[in-house]
Amino acid sequence: MPSPSLFEKSSPFSGVYFMLMVNRMQMLYFFIIMPRHLVHPYMIMGIMAVGILSQVNLMLLSKWFSSNFSVQGYQGFVQLLGERTVRVFAFLGLFLILLRITVMTLGFVEIAHQYIFPSMTSNWLILSIFIVCFYLASQGMENTIRFVVIAFLSTIWMVIIYYSFFFPPIASMHDLYPLMPPEWSAISWKGLLLVWSSLSGVEFLVCLTPWLRPKQKMLKYLTIANTISVLEYLVLFISSLLFFSSNYLVKTKYPVLDMVRYLQFPAYERIDIVLISVHLFVLVFVNSIFILLFYGATRILLGKGVQQTTRMGFAASFIIILVSILIVNQWFWKSGEEQNIWLNLQIGVGAFTYLLVPAFLLVATKLKGRFKV
Amino acid sequence: MTHIKRVVLLMIIMNIVLLSGCSSFFVENNTVEEIAPVIFWSIQEGESGKLKISTLVPPLINEKKSMLTLQVNLLKQGRKDFNLVYYRELKSGQLRMLFISEELAKKGILPLIDTLLTDPDISQRLYLVVIKGNFEDYIRNQVDKQENLDYFLYRMLKHYETKNQGDITVINLHQFLKRLYSPFSDPILPVFKVNKENFIYHGTAFFKDDKLVATISDMNDQILQLLNNDYYLKLLPIPSLAVSLGQIRSKVIIKLASDYSSISIKVNLVGRIEEYRGDKNIVDSDELEDLNQEIKSYLEKQTTALLRNMQQWKVDPLQVGTHSLTPFSQPIKDEEWLRKWGDMELQINYQLDLQTMTNVNK
Repeated sequence: MPSPSLFEKSSPFSGVYFMLMVNRMQMLYFFIIMPRHLVHPYMIMGIMAVGILSQVNLMLLSKWFSSNFSVQGYQGFVQLLGERTVRVFAFLGLFLILLRITVMTLGFVEIAHQYIFPSMTSNWLILSIFIVCFYLASQGMENTIRFVVIAFLSTIWMVIIYYSFFFPPIASMHDLYPLMPPEWSAISWKGLLLVWSSLSGVEFLVCLTPWLRPKQKMLKYLTIANTISVLEYLVLFISSLLFFSSNYLVKTKYPVLDMVRYLQFPAYERIDIVLISVHLFVLVFVNSIFILLFYGATRILLGKGVQQTTRMGFAASFIIILVSILIVNQWFWKSGEEQNIWLNLQIGVGAFTYLLVPAFLLVATKLKGRFKV
Repeated sequence: MTHIKRVVLLMIIMNIVLLSGCSSFFVENNTVEEIAPVIFWSIQEGESGKLKISTLVPPLINEKKSMLTLQVNLLKQGRKDFNLVYYRELKSGQLRMLFISEELAKKGILPLIDTLLTDPDISQRLYLVVIKGNFEDYIRNQVDKQENLDYFLYRMLKHYETKNQGDITVINLHQFLKRLYSPFSDPILPVFKVNKENFIYHGTAFFKDDKLVATISDMNDQILQLLNNDYYLKLLPIPSLAVSLGQIRSKVIIKLASDYSSISIKVNLVGRIEEYRGDKNIVDSDELEDLNQEIKSYLEKQTTALLRNMQQWKVDPLQVGTHSLTPFSQPIKDEEWLRKWGDMELQINYQLDLQTMTNVNK
C-alpha cells in the first residue's frame, strides 16, 4: 500500500535521470510500428529533420526548466497561471494521460498477444501489467524515477542485435535508393507526424521539476536523450529497409519484431519473445509515472494539491485508469492499424501537446516577467 | 468506516478480475512426450483443387516413423486434421522445410506461403524446395532404410546455406518473399528430383511473381551460382573441355547503358585448374593460354544463352534491374524494366585467372 508520502522529495535527482526518462519515453511502442508508416528510403531524411525540430523544441523546454517558476512545482504553476487555470489544465491533463496510457498499453498488449500468448484473453495481460505498475507507483514518485535506470539498462542493448542486418548477404545498398523524394506529395506526412508524436511525452516531465536538482544545464541532458532516440529510430528504420526493402515493408505489421525473428541464435530461437518481454520494463515504468501524474492531477482538480496523499485516493485513481483501459479494450479497441482511431488520436494529440506545451510555458513565463517589471 | 472502504475496494478489484472472464491463461500444452514437432511438410496437388499434404511422424523420439497424408482444402485444415488421425499433437514450431510439388508451384504458391509467414510459430528461415516427382514415394521407401531421414534433409540444406558453400541454391521463406515483393528481382527456388530411391539436386527454378516459369540445371545452374547467388563454386567440371576448375570466386561488374538498350556483364574468375584429361600440355604457357581461351569462350557462350533464355521468359532472377537504381534519381517502373530487359543487348565478358596445379602433366 502506498506510504502516506507518495510525492515525497528527500534528495533531488541529477539531470541524468531525466535524460534516461526522456529517452525511454521516446522509445515506447511507436518505434515498433514506425518503419511501416515511413516505408520509403527517403524518409530517413524525414526522421533526421523531425529529430532536429524536436531538438529546437527541447531548447524551448529547457528554458522552462531554468526558470524560477519550475523549481516551485505546483506553487510555481499557480503563481504563473492562477489556480483556476491550473485546475483546468489538470482536468485536460487527465484525459491526455489516460489516452496515452491506453494506447501504449493496448498497443503493447496486442503485440504480446500476437507473438507470445495468442491463446490468452488480453484482459489478463492488461491486468497483470497493471498490478506491476500499481506496485511500482505505490513505492512513491522517487522510487519510480529511480526505476528508470533498470528500464533503460534492460532495453538499450536491443539496438545492438540489429547490427547483423547491416551486413551482406542481408543488406544490399540498392534497398536504400532513392534517397530523395520524387515530389512533395510522395512524402508520408502521417509518418512524419508519427515520428514527432513518438518523440513526445517529454512535455509531461514539466510536472516533475520539483524532484530535479535546481540550476542544472538541462539542455545538455535533453539533447543527449533526444539524439539517442533519433539514432535508435534511424538504426531500426534503416535495418528494416535493408531487411525487407520498401515494397515488402508496407506489408509487414510489426517489422522491427519480425526482423528479430529471423535471427537464429544457437541456444534460443525466439529472440522476439525476449525483446517483447524486456520491453515491458519500459512500459511499466512509463505507466507508473503517468499513474502518479494522474493521481496528482486529480488532487489538483479537487483542490487538495497541498494536502497529504491518501491510500484510497491513489487506489481509486488507479482503478479508474484500469477500468477505463479494460473497457476500451473490451469494446472499443480494434486491432489493425489503419482503422484504429485511438492510435490516430494519440498520434495527433501527442504531437499537438509536444508542440504546444514548451512554447506555451515559455510565452507564459515571458509575459509574467514583463508584467512584474 | 475504514472497514467499509476496504470491502468496497475488494469488491471493485473482484469485479475487475471477473471482467476478464474465466478463461485459462494458456491453452498451449507442450509436454514433450505428448507432442510431435514436425520438421517438414510436403504439399502436392490433390484431387479437385485440393491440397495433398504429408509429413513424417514422430520426428525425434525413438519410435517407428510413419508417414501421414491428408487431402485438404486449406493448409491449416491439414494441421488440424493431422491431430485427429494421430495420437500426438502436431506442432509447427520446429517446421524447417516445405516441399512444394512442381505442378503446384506452376499454379502459384503465394497463399500457401502467406499462411506460413503470418504464423508467429513458424520461423522465417523455413527452407522452400520445389520437388519434381513423387516425394511421398521416396519417403515411404526410405524411411525404413534410413533413420531420421527428415532431420538429415534439413541438415543438408542448412549445411549448404551457411557461408554460401557454392554448390546448390538454398532459399528460405524470407528471401523468397523479399525477392517476390521487390521490384527488379524475381524469386528463385532449388529444385530436387525424386524417385523411389533418390533425392537429387536438379537445379534452380525461376518464378514470375509466385508462379514457376522455368527450371535450369547443370551448367546453367552453376553459372547462376557464379553470377548471382553465391559468387563462389567449389568445383566446376566442364566435361566438353575435359577440365575441372576448383575454388572459383567470381566478381561480377554489371553496367547498364543509360537508355537500357544494352548491358555489359564483366565476370572476373579466380580459381585453379584441378583436373585436366584433354590432350594439351598445359604446363606449356601457350597451350595453357589456348585452354584459357577455350574455357572463356565456352563460359561466355553458355552465359549468353542462359541470359537470352531469361529474357525470353521475362524473368530477372539475377536482379540486374537493381543496377538501374541510384541514390538521387527516380526508379523506373517494374513493368517498364521487364519490357526493356526483354530486348536488351547482351555483352558478356569473362576474365579468367587460373592457376595450374604443377603435377597436372602430360
